[in-house]
Amino acid sequence: MNLKGEMSMLNVLHLEHTDVNAIAIELEKKRDEMPQFFSQSPIVVDCSLLGEAVIDFDFTALKNALINLGFIPVGVRNHPATLNASLANAGWAVMRESLKPSAKETESSTSEEEDSSNHDAVESQDPQPAPIAVKFKSLTVDRPVRSGQQIYAADSDMTVLAQTSAGSEIMADGSIHVYGPLRGRVLAGAMGNESARIFCQSLQAELIAIAGRYQLLDESDTDLIGKPAMIKLSGEKLIIEPLSA
Amino acid sequence: MSKVIVVTSGKGGVGKTTSSAAFSAGLAARGHKTAVIDFDVGLRNLDLIMGVERRVIYDFVNVINGEATLKQALIKDKRVDNLYILPASQTRDKDALTKEGVESIINELKEDGFEYIVCDSPAGIEKGAFMALYFADEAIVVTNPEVSSVRDSDRILGILQSRSKVAEEGGAVKEHLLITRYSPDRVEGGDMLGMDDIVEILSIPLIGVIPESGSVLQASNSGNPVIMDKESAAGQAYEDVVSRFLGEEIPLRFTHVEQKKKGFFQKIFG
Repeated sequence: MNLKGEMSMLNVLHLEHTDVNAIAIELEKKRDEMPQFFSQSPIVVDCSLLGEAVIDFDFTALKNALINLGFIPVGVRNHPATLNASLANAGWAVMRESLKPSAKETESSTSEEEDSSNHDAVESQDPQPAPIAVKFKSLTVDRPVRSGQQIYAADSDMTVLAQTSAGSEIMADGSIHVYGPLRGRVLAGAMGNESARIFCQSLQAELIAIAGRYQLLDESDTDLIGKPAMIKLSGEKLIIEPLSA
Repeated sequence: MSKVIVVTSGKGGVGKTTSSAAFSAGLAARGHKTAVIDFDVGLRNLDLIMGVERRVIYDFVNVINGEATLKQALIKDKRVDNLYILPASQTRDKDALTKEGVESIINELKEDGFEYIVCDSPAGIEKGAFMALYFADEAIVVTNPEVSSVRDSDRILGILQSRSKVAEEGGAVKEHLLITRYSPDRVEGGDMLGMDDIVEILSIPLIGVIPESGSVLQASNSGNPVIMDKESAAGQAYEDVVSRFLGEEIPLRFTHVEQKKKGFFQKIFG
């Protein structure tokens, strides 16, 4: 087996008041607009709009209401930590806080959805899809990558500020930049991104690869060894070009 | 503040034990209370090079297993005050070393007022070497001027900076490069890596260059750390290493081919 932390789409129910019956009625209406979409869909409850009222909220009743409506209640977030124990008892997972879009963004997306769906729908309790913040990741390595070390930047570019040694391996799903001498193996576009590139100040790599197309540097006819270079994929061929301003 | 220093290399036969012996004897001779621990369980050598092999009663593993106290196992050097040797066991293997056991010995040495605890690492990157480097604050990486030794040193540097305790806690082990068995004339002849190349490949600060010298073998065989041979180039080079480690800035010696002494006629005729 394999246990990993990954992101998945979850619907988030933003509570605005504590009347479970009213929430259930509003949710049912929503569900019936897109039954295929919401049937058996996992749902997270967000309490950030409830304020102090959250203390008295009946999470057990909400859970039962959600199950009756065909949702799968998963967890609660943005609640006071003092509720953690009682939430756990009621069978809720306690979700860590996520980065939320600014209030303005939330507003605009809410109104958009209302325009396109049902004007009569009460403005609250929209089970919107969870805002997946598209985060640009990047990995910066500021120490030498030594022989025998492997560094992989998943879903990300990689920048190495020091050297990489012979016998080391650096991999990224995106592009790779190396500002020290590049001496080990270097694999960009590891998950198949053909537009990934490799940039380096001193090209002395053992092996270069982009999106699975690899080449031993000794077998290439480049005259850029030891010089600043950029490597890109053209068709099935790795092209090594001088890197100059 | 005590410091734990590992003397390591990855590759075997490059001079770790010789360097550990010389370095610890040099620190002790300058008045610093120093312990040197042989981590090469099963292939113990440090006691031979230090000339105490006939004084070993208890060893490192005995102390870890609680069969002897640290005081019983530490051998006090008869030539240099402040120098103590903790020998390895010859009859056990590296699995006898445990993180907890090593840690408790190092802590006890620190409490006993040892300023420097020098860990003589076995070759390889397996358990013995890992145990030797795990608690290190600083590392002396011993390298010979040849490609395989340099490659192995690079590997061990990677392990130091990723798997040592200091690294696990987010810090960095201070690195020193020690080049041993250096022959300037063979470097000049092109059949040995030059020190500049080695420094460029490893990119860590150089603490010293020990010239290839017959006196090293002689010292090992007689059980005297080579640093005690004040006449020899290797002994003097190790003295320089100790000085640099203690913060002095002194120029490198024995790294260039010495000018041939001019003969009588050359002197006259230029």
